[in-house]
Amino acid sequence: MRVYTAADEESLRILQLLKDWVNLGFLEESQRQTVQQDVTCELRRTNGFLRAVLFIFTLISAAAAAGLFFIVSPPRDAASFLLLVFAAACYAGAEFAVSRFHLYRHGIEEGLAVLSIGFLWSGVQAASPQGSLEFAAPAAGAIASYLLYARFGFQYLFLAAMAFAAAIPQFWTASHSGQHLIVAAFYLAGLAIVVRIQPSHRLDYLDAEYSVIETLLWLGLYLSLNLQLSSASLIAPWRPDLANSAEFSRPFYWTTFVMIWLVPAIILWRSLAIRDRTITSLGLVVAILTLATNKPYLGLPHHAWDPILLGLLLIGVAIAVRRWLANGPAGIRQGFTAQRLSGRDKQWIDSLSPTLAIVLPNPTLAPLSSEHEFGGGTSGGGGASSDF
Amino acid sequence: MTLFSQLDRWKEQGTISPEQHILLIGLSRDEPCSLFLPLNILFYAGVLALVGGLGWTVRTYAAQLGDIIIVTALSAILAGSLWHCFTHAPNILTQAPNMVLDYVLYLGCLTWSLELAYIETRFHLLSGQWDNYLLATACFFFALAYRFDNRFVLSLALSTLAGWFGITISRLPGTQESSYRQYAILYGLLVAVAGIALRRLSIKPHFFGTWLNVAANVLLAAVLSGVFERAGYLLWFLLLLVGCGASLAYGLARRQFVFIAYAALYGYVGISSILIRNMSDATAVLSYFVVTGIAMLVALTVTARRFGRES
Repeated sequence: MRVYTAADEESLRILQLLKDWVNLGFLEESQRQTVQQDVTCELRRTNGFLRAVLFIFTLISAAAAAGLFFIVSPPRDAASFLLLVFAAACYAGAEFAVSRFHLYRHGIEEGLAVLSIGFLWSGVQAASPQGSLEFAAPAAGAIASYLLYARFGFQYLFLAAMAFAAAIPQFWTASHSGQHLIVAAFYLAGLAIVVRIQPSHRLDYLDAEYSVIETLLWLGLYLSLNLQLSSASLIAPWRPDLANSAEFSRPFYWTTFVMIWLVPAIILWRSLAIRDRTITSLGLVVAILTLATNKPYLGLPHHAWDPILLGLLLIGVAIAVRRWLANGPAGIRQGFTAQRLSGRDKQWIDSLSPTLAIVLPNPTLAPLSSEHEFGGGTSGGGGASSDF
Repeated sequence: MTLFSQLDRWKEQGTISPEQHILLIGLSRDEPCSLFLPLNILFYAGVLALVGGLGWTVRTYAAQLGDIIIVTALSAILAGSLWHCFTHAPNILTQAPNMVLDYVLYLGCLTWSLELAYIETRFHLLSGQWDNYLLATACFFFALAYRFDNRFVLSLALSTLAGWFGITISRLPGTQESSYRQYAILYGLLVAVAGIALRRLSIKPHFFGTWLNVAANVLLAAVLSGVFERAGYLLWFLLLLVGCGASLAYGLARRQFVFIAYAALYGYVGISSILIRNMSDATAVLSYFVVTGIAMLVALTVTARRFGRES
């Protein structure tokens, strides 16, 4: 199924690990130069930034070409057919780019693959009659996204397949509870398959890929069960069809409340059992989401100091775990360590932290200028009045 | 051949030592499993939640708590954070010894910002001259970032300095204000010059990338916003060409593809906006995107093959 051979993908993994080990000081650069000669790989890769730019220009040129075709020879009744032809052409282009030029995560073949899904979805959408077959468009999108993920290994296409799958149940039932349940069932079925398959790939290049896929499925399952998040005001402008959490039946509502506590616990338990830090990270994120949505779930008002308690809890847990690990022999306990053993971890933190520090609100740039919110200070120091 | 068989082979050949073989086999099996990333997530989310909660509490309960309690509490957090950092990294040449120090410093800096915002809003010590606070805060953050080798705080310092210039992230894309544009260019040039100077002086040269990325994006975005003007855009267009040329040249010379990507994207958007702004025919516009899109793909691919290195 996969367009790349297992040997090539394993070689890429080895080359990446060798680079990592040199950066971490486990291997000398001269050793890497020597052993790298044993690892042959014909796939042509590129830098991450260039990959993104090539992806964008592929989308621009191919989408413009399709638009041009529609303008120059406007199809009378065959618009959907033409879109399906474009989808096939883009897919063929992606296959050609890989087979002829051995492109691997190069942006061009990715742009073509993404466009083929977009055209397929649009074509099926245009061809689907109103009524019982309306679900065909998201279903086609989900299937195509999954197949192209399986073919090329683009993990974001698996995410696209999950998103398309989440759009299907609205055509099957008007019940919001039913829609949530169906989506959760989709993701649970996916998890069952991945959990069954993954152990046989623990030691090869597919381990990391299945780890990401499992992480995405757990995240999807959690989001489909947390009714406070799916009806949050953040999402509401884009999905007005989503139900308000008050519209759900009480048994369903309280079942999901139990589940949003259970799912993070299960994720953390499983991730620690199989020693997977990607899934562990997700477990922590969804645990934080559960803590943050607990009060709205219970119908209790948020207090201004709630984030302080949450922050102290998270920092306290982090310090406790870190100390516990650090006090073990060689900083290791139960097979876990707080030390950095992967270059990618540092890469993530180094690239994300400056971006977040710039993008997130900086208190100095947003002075507490809404003066009406400060009513009647009791001390009014520095000669200031108590109201300002 | 799998990773494990390769490792066995390299050990037999004597390329790697038996100790390295054991270590690398273990690492390949995630033994031990590193919780470095999850712990960083906990620390980062914890610090943000804590400071966010402090800000919310101060805003909501300023009247009930009173100035003394608020200022004392915030000062205590700030002093505690700085005390922890200075006592745990006493040597200026020592890099941050652990992740806790990074986040304690970040907490201290955010608390400083919060406290300063409160004090100025409440007491108007500088008669509302907020700019002076911003400049002083930026300098303070720069000093701390370099003292403790902290990228979080360096980025905070750069964003605070941008605030002093009147630039905020929400105003960057496509703004039409010419005064803002000039300040943005001044800021970008200052950041670029400061970054180059610090690197030449060999002061934390590994921070150079952060300085240069911020400078390149601010400069190119500011100049590009001038190209979008309906009148008097020619000068901005020429400046954009110069900027993109410089970014491209630097990217090629240093094999830094991110700067090639900046040149390609900013340059393409700028040139396209000039060329298609008077086109009303959809066929011509789409033809333009087909031809130029393919041309960019070819040019970038050739560039990558000629000058490239794999990621």
